[in-house]
Amino acid sequence: MIELDDVTVYYPKAEEPAVSGVHLSLYPGEFVCVLGPSGAGKSTLIRTINALQPVTEGQVLIQGKNLQQMPEADKRKWRSRAGMIFQHFHLIPRLTVQQNVLTGLFGKRRSFANAVGFFNESEKQKVRRVLEEVGLLDMAQRRVEALSGGQKQRVGIARALMQEPEVFLGDEPVASLDPGTARSVFGILKDVHDKQHLMSLINVHDVALARSFATRVIGLAGGEVIYDGPPDQLDNGNLERIYGKSIHT
Amino acid sequence: MTWLRKRAWIYGLLLAVFTWWSMGKTEFEWSSFREFDDAVTFVREQFFPPSFDIAPNLIDPALVTLAIAFLGTFFALLSAVPLSFAAAKNTAANPVLYYLLRFFLSILRSIPEIVFGLIFVVVLGLGPFPAVIAILLHNIGVLGKLISELIEAADPGPQEAMKSVGSGRRIGNLFAVVPQIWPNVLSHYFYRFEVAIRTSLILGFIGGGGIGQKLINDFNSFQYSAVTVEVLFIMLLVIVVDLFGAFVRKRVI
Repeated sequence: MIELDDVTVYYPKAEEPAVSGVHLSLYPGEFVCVLGPSGAGKSTLIRTINALQPVTEGQVLIQGKNLQQMPEADKRKWRSRAGMIFQHFHLIPRLTVQQNVLTGLFGKRRSFANAVGFFNESEKQKVRRVLEEVGLLDMAQRRVEALSGGQKQRVGIARALMQEPEVFLGDEPVASLDPGTARSVFGILKDVHDKQHLMSLINVHDVALARSFATRVIGLAGGEVIYDGPPDQLDNGNLERIYGKSIHT
Repeated sequence: MTWLRKRAWIYGLLLAVFTWWSMGKTEFEWSSFREFDDAVTFVREQFFPPSFDIAPNLIDPALVTLAIAFLGTFFALLSAVPLSFAAAKNTAANPVLYYLLRFFLSILRSIPEIVFGLIFVVVLGLGPFPAVIAILLHNIGVLGKLISELIEAADPGPQEAMKSVGSGRRIGNLFAVVPQIWPNVLSHYFYRFEVAIRTSLILGFIGGGGIGQKLINDFNSFQYSAVTVEVLFIMLLVIVVDLFGAFVRKRVI
């Protein structure tokens, strides 16, 4: 279980907090979509969970342990169990699909083995399995620059899957994709989530996607949680409170 | 409305004043250009026809020049790459070390190879080895600065991705940054290699060996037709390195 206990985040020199007094408990099996306008604090919230963003006040508890107070080695260990998917993919250019996916193992292996690029047979089998799961096995040896946006995001998902994560964190993973591809990528995410019984927290702008896939929706505005509940109770009134204007879906 | 704003006129005026001042300081005389005719006559009469019969004797000195330039710049590259990571803002582990290294690289860069050469010829004796050290030290400073700037300009996204998978800082930097900067590193390296060939000639003038030493000896003994062949050898070396660099870059990109 992951708990956010009164979490507040200020960026340097900012007068207003990016996230303010957030209390949340996240449980295995939940597929949580975070909605909110740009600047609502969605990315900051996600990034506190794998310590990419330190909290200013409050605490993030990972199975009861305060993430902020963990030694760096333990933080790295936790990150290696939290698969993160980024809006702009953050793939390593000039490397192949397979090489990018293999970097998902870096947190679990010795530095020397990573530096020389030695991977054993079970790791090679794993990368093939993961690439098959996201439908990219036939593109394993292609350089990532040659892929479309949707394919790049599937490489991002495959990299996260290589981590054998307990948690999926998605920082607007489909915001750069066209609606059809976005739905297909979201479908892959949900399939993997269901098969592996993960805990997923995904930022998304598309309310319809959240309604279709989420088991729980969190609405953020001005860094505060405005809505936390099931997607079927997310009516126009709630959306208006989250976005500050009426949203027709 | 005019195309040029008032500020542009002021800059133009300042530039003109600085040009006039520099011409005074360097005794720049337009009338001296008339004497260029003499230079053309001198080259035509003294440097031609080239003494191609000395060409076989130039192969070894040319290879020494190539070796000086390669070894100096290659060892400089090997030293500069790790130093650059510690001297780039986004990858430096320690801010104090970052400033110290930047300062160290600036010092290496600000001392010309000829000065290093003069020192090492005295300390190590005549020959190509002091020339290698002179090129190596100066190029650590140059490549260190250029590569650290490439690292700073690299897309931070892959670095963040490496951090998010739990990778250590060094391995994360290695995998996230090196593939991004590698073609430009090679580009800078081959340019410095090409420059080092020309520099090793100058170092030859002070006893650093190679084709430069032959060239200055022939020039001082008025063997100008031999100098022509030596200059052709140097041009050939630079062109070969340039073509090889273009081939390697094409393969890498």
